[in-house]
Amino acid sequence: MADDKKFGGYICTGCGIGERLDTDQLEQIALREGKMNLCRQHPMLCSAEGVQMIQDDIDNEGVNHVMIAACSRRAKVEAFNFPRVALSRANLREGVIWSRPDTEENRETTQEKADDYVRMGCAEVRFMEIPEPSGEQELNKHILVVGGGVTGMQAALEVAEAGYNATIVEKAAQLGGHMAQVYRRVPTRSPYVDPQDTQVADLVSRVMSNERITVYTNARVAQSSGAPGRFSVEIARESGETLNGSFGAIIQASGFKPYDANNLPEFAYGKTPDVVTNLELERLAREADGGPIKRPSDGKEVQAVAFVQCAGQRSDKEGHLPYCSGFCCTTSIKQAMYFKQQNPGCDTTVLFTDLRTPGAPGEDFYRAAQRKEVTFSKGEVSEVVSADGELRVKFKDLILNEDTEMTCDLVVLATGQVPNTGPDPYAAPLEAEDEEEEGGETAGEEATPQVSVSVESILNLDYRQGTDLPHLRHGFVDSHFICFPYETRRTGIYAAGPCRRPMDSAQARDDAAGAAMKAIQATVHAAWGQAVHPRAGDLSFPRFRKEGCTQCKRCTVECPFGAINEDEERYPQFNEARCRRCGTCMGACPVRVISFANYSIDTVGQQIKAVDVPDEYSEKPRILVLACENDAYPALDMAAMAGEEISPWSRVVPVRCLGSVSLSWITDSLNSGYDGVVLMGCRKDDDYQCHFVRGSAMAHERLSKVGDTLQQLNLETERVAVYEVAITDTKRAPQLINDMAKTVDEIGMSPFKF
Amino acid sequence: MTEVIATNETILVVGGGISGMTAALEAAETGKQVVLLEKRPYLGGRVSQLYKYFPKLCFPTCGLEINQRRAKMNPALRILTLAEVTSVEGEPGNYRVGVHISPRYVKENCTACGDCERAVSSEFDDEFNYGLSKRKGAYLPHRMAHPLRYVLDPRIIGSEDAEKAKAACKYDAIDLDDSGEDLTLNVGAVIWATGWQPYDANRIQPYGYDRIANVITSVEFERMADPSGPTGGRLIRPSDGKEARNVAFIQCAGSRDHNHLLHCSRICCMATLKQTTYVADAWGDDADISVYYIDIRAIDRFEDFYAKVRETTRARFIKSKVAKIEENKANGNPVLHGVDTEGYHRYANEHDLVVLAIGMQPSVPSDQFPVKLALNEEGFIEPAPENGAIFAAGVASDALDVNRAVQHATGAALKAVQVVNRVAGQEA
Amino acid sequence: MSELNQQMIEQYRTRFLQEVEANVEEGEWVKMCMQCGVCSGSCPLGKHWAHPPQEIFMMIRAGKREEVLTSDSMWMCTSCYNCIVRCPRGLPITHIMHGLATYAKRLGLAPKNQPTAKFAQLFWDNLVKKGRVNELKLGLSLYFMNGFGEGIKVAMKQQAIGLGMLRTKRMNPMEVVGGHAVKDLDGFHKMIRKAQELEDARIKQNAG
Repeated sequence: MADDKKFGGYICTGCGIGERLDTDQLEQIALREGKMNLCRQHPMLCSAEGVQMIQDDIDNEGVNHVMIAACSRRAKVEAFNFPRVALSRANLREGVIWSRPDTEENRETTQEKADDYVRMGCAEVRFMEIPEPSGEQELNKHILVVGGGVTGMQAALEVAEAGYNATIVEKAAQLGGHMAQVYRRVPTRSPYVDPQDTQVADLVSRVMSNERITVYTNARVAQSSGAPGRFSVEIARESGETLNGSFGAIIQASGFKPYDANNLPEFAYGKTPDVVTNLELERLAREADGGPIKRPSDGKEVQAVAFVQCAGQRSDKEGHLPYCSGFCCTTSIKQAMYFKQQNPGCDTTVLFTDLRTPGAPGEDFYRAAQRKEVTFSKGEVSEVVSADGELRVKFKDLILNEDTEMTCDLVVLATGQVPNTGPDPYAAPLEAEDEEEEGGETAGEEATPQVSVSVESILNLDYRQGTDLPHLRHGFVDSHFICFPYETRRTGIYAAGPCRRPMDSAQARDDAAGAAMKAIQATVHAAWGQAVHPRAGDLSFPRFRKEGCTQCKRCTVECPFGAINEDEERYPQFNEARCRRCGTCMGACPVRVISFANYSIDTVGQQIKAVDVPDEYSEKPRILVLACENDAYPALDMAAMAGEEISPWSRVVPVRCLGSVSLSWITDSLNSGYDGVVLMGCRKDDDYQCHFVRGSAMAHERLSKVGDTLQQLNLETERVAVYEVAITDTKRAPQLINDMAKTVDEIGMSPFKF
Repeated sequence: MTEVIATNETILVVGGGISGMTAALEAAETGKQVVLLEKRPYLGGRVSQLYKYFPKLCFPTCGLEINQRRAKMNPALRILTLAEVTSVEGEPGNYRVGVHISPRYVKENCTACGDCERAVSSEFDDEFNYGLSKRKGAYLPHRMAHPLRYVLDPRIIGSEDAEKAKAACKYDAIDLDDSGEDLTLNVGAVIWATGWQPYDANRIQPYGYDRIANVITSVEFERMADPSGPTGGRLIRPSDGKEARNVAFIQCAGSRDHNHLLHCSRICCMATLKQTTYVADAWGDDADISVYYIDIRAIDRFEDFYAKVRETTRARFIKSKVAKIEENKANGNPVLHGVDTEGYHRYANEHDLVVLAIGMQPSVPSDQFPVKLALNEEGFIEPAPENGAIFAAGVASDALDVNRAVQHATGAALKAVQVVNRVAGQEA
Repeated sequence: MSELNQQMIEQYRTRFLQEVEANVEEGEWVKMCMQCGVCSGSCPLGKHWAHPPQEIFMMIRAGKREEVLTSDSMWMCTSCYNCIVRCPRGLPITHIMHGLATYAKRLGLAPKNQPTAKFAQLFWDNLVKKGRVNELKLGLSLYFMNGFGEGIKVAMKQQAIGLGMLRTKRMNPMEVVGGHAVKDLDGFHKMIRKAQELEDARIKQNAG
């Protein structure tokens, strides 16, 4: 392979690079030290002519490895887009001239920095391979939908509408889920005034008559394995029959379980049948079917009804839900309308603390209810008492500031949604061989003891890291990302509907479309052999040298996406379509056998090696900066754009994720005379900002032990610093590097210089 | 002439904010040809002007970076900035869309070196900072701008400054004769993601936004909190630069109000909760925060954030729509008059700074759509079959927070993909 | 307590909101209030209100019939319209306040000796007599509203203004005897009587 490589170096002299730097010298370095086969300068490399110059070399000279020394790798990406070519970028503009003062006394160190960046760019590209798709897969246009409620049915229909096939697995005997029990739904089209038909029957008939959709009721997922594009799923039916299917992606639409109102004895639930939950009221409304709604105890027509909002919700009391279920305000409004429609004189009072009816539909619906004379009282209900055939609702009227009560025939508790999800893989310590603090940390991060969560698995994945989607909070399998709400930690498996986040049926149907989009996309990417978000389009995937592997399993444990299983011989099995290409496995591997074609121990290690480390007496320290390419590296770029100075001694190497950082890079750099190492990753705690979820956390944990290594080397522990850096840290990020320069100045140069 | 290849299998996305970018990228990453139009000279829309997101308090710049990287790397996505739709004709699978592109006066070979900016002297209100600062007549809208290309303000064209900018450019990237252009695109489906604009605070007369210096809007406060914003992240009040420690937030400023916007803008409660953390972070125990509200709509799992804010910022929550604001002429403090409705307490509270949690209204007024779409009373696009293959994404459909807008836009992308898949006959 | 009041209590029982809706001018708006309190805060006389409008609306919904109707709060309204202009739900609050006051008076529940109520009565009596307001008579009856002694005092205080008005012919002293009327005074009286009949009939019907 190496023989086929032909290297071209290209140096841009535009944007002031030519004025500030000796580019002839850079060219010589690229050729002699960087071992480029050819090297050219251009006054504006990103121009059409500049790009054409490179393209000509690719076409005519057989150049397939290109080193561009110009602006940051984040700039002019579209211009320097050469398919099937390995490309490295030496950042001379933001990385050197824009972050160094243009003065005579700095000229030498600025040039030295540029020299090193060219050396590093050459070293990187020399060790890069051109990633090839493995070509093992074809497009599997079949999506598995787990759950046949409104979300699942809508997801299946969306999938079918896009020309894909869908299979629904529903554990109940019928499709429809909870919404099938609902009498009318909140309107989804203007005017948002009256409850509407739920459309569940229509959904069911559309699903049943769609030739692209297969439905299994009384069925569950007994086992699932594989990866996007080739999920192999065993579907067990109640009859004992087992079916096997192959799917491109999975949508989990397992919905919610109604909150158990038996936890609310203070509201007389269970003491009288006239206190019902919102879901139970739907049954009464269905039975009445437009006629008078009767109370369960004695069949009396309800003349006065009270709705207790947030029943068992928004509360830190034991057995209550700490969150708001989101759907209950509009649901109570809708249900109050049931009574008003049939009997406008019926007293309907909604007792709430914050009425949550957002958006245009929400607020319109609220006003519509008021127009129908539904009464809204800001009040905290303390107790419901059943006596003498009446219910007395005791509450504090927060507006009139008094403890008061009202009597009614029926009380409806606006109870919430409890997610119906499988066990959280990270809720308990992973496995015996895992280190204690790791299990402890995850448990602390994810545990929500108040909420009772189903322990029955939904997906029965045969993954090394557990059977189901990881939870976010309160048992919901939501994404942690604001910008990327469907990114779960199991590639190709997308959650939709109330198992993801509390929601009403309209939102759930929208949500189903979004999850269907991601599922289809995942199958397409799997077929292309490309990574999905956030490295969409990346063809590289982890490979390992089997003979070097010690089967330590660090990679299988640390992978934030549970992508890596173990094969029968206990070697890692990477499942490339499950992999997000963050490189955390590479960073985890103590024997350095894991690599990607274009990102490896060598592509970084050789850059570190390529830097010219002056001797101890030069007073020119070298500081290695390993910066996450997602946040820290852009922060440094923007700092440069803003004219922030960055220490002349620093040499910055972008990494895919701090999780991909191999300890060997650090020890090697210290051994070869670097004076300090600064590592910059993303925020790692509960509100983590790591694009790969746990990459930064894993790195921090590994690096917590780097002090021992330093001590063994007889080096000061201050020489290595690990930071959480955000993309907005345009002042702080340079400062952290400059601080290290100061530290080196104080403690002195490394004794390991040659 | 801008070359745009667009066919019946192309998806057109109108609006390059977070929703439009999401819809465009999701479709493009599924292998569809996508043309993305953005009215501004750069992508990112309103979220590019936010400092932090609720509830994680993370930085929108982070998501913008990754989305822009996705955009840069995807050859199936074509982005046209300064572009607006002028007409839409046709039917699902076959629309002809008229597009007007306003002149940028800066060509693609701009390297963003900044020489033109240094050469010109004219200054204008910086719209990125909602006019809280000035920018030059040749400018980069912000450091993260994509495309990373300068823009000449049309107001300098024909002036000496324009010539200076042109002369300063070493790369001949400035084209003063740029007159924009009009294109017609043939596309199969359209995603309408035109987003929102802040409601005009001047119209809420009793709050004196137009006459009291220390009454500002939430979008302005957001810029102020941003370390790269007009005050360098210092929370100071406009009248005298005094530190704003005692800050009041007024909810439903324009929202839930038949005099202004009928709808609840959904984001304002959460945005205020987020902004209380800015004040608490800046001043610690010296922070004094009041939130005047009707209902705190920290819906579903945002409740956690509400609880956290109550605990950490010690903000006072007063159930009251503030009746009017007067200025204490002696010290410039806004004085809020109203009634705390929980138990009827009349107040006249003085604060250093007042932030109006301003409502969101659709960017495109109901009567200015270039195509007839089913809209609700509030001007949002309805999920209506009669809209054909024109699908709303994000805030064009309702007042949504970023997370919900992105969810919605992802679903909208699928709707468009379904149409072009049908056109391509991929059903078989 | 009037008989009508008793009838209304029987008729509506706990449903004071419905009673207000049916019998109070613009009463059907009360249910639309969302308790934001902007009306209460906007009232220039606010601090004189025992129960500001938004609270009255809540009291109506809470069925506090007697407390509301005997309250002097709604008599405080000076029709400045600040509340109407600002109310986010478009409630005609000024009108509702006057409506409540009128209704309370009709039921005999209005507070005795409430100055605004007294003035309103004087104004009305003055107005219906000739179909137009006799300013001189209204002014005088206003001065003497609280007794003869105070009337003299007030009259003395206002002397300069009165003389000024006489000088500029803004006030005709002859109006004190009879005063001129609208054209077709008879017709006017018929109209008022008819309106009264209609109103009475409606209320009577509501009273069951």
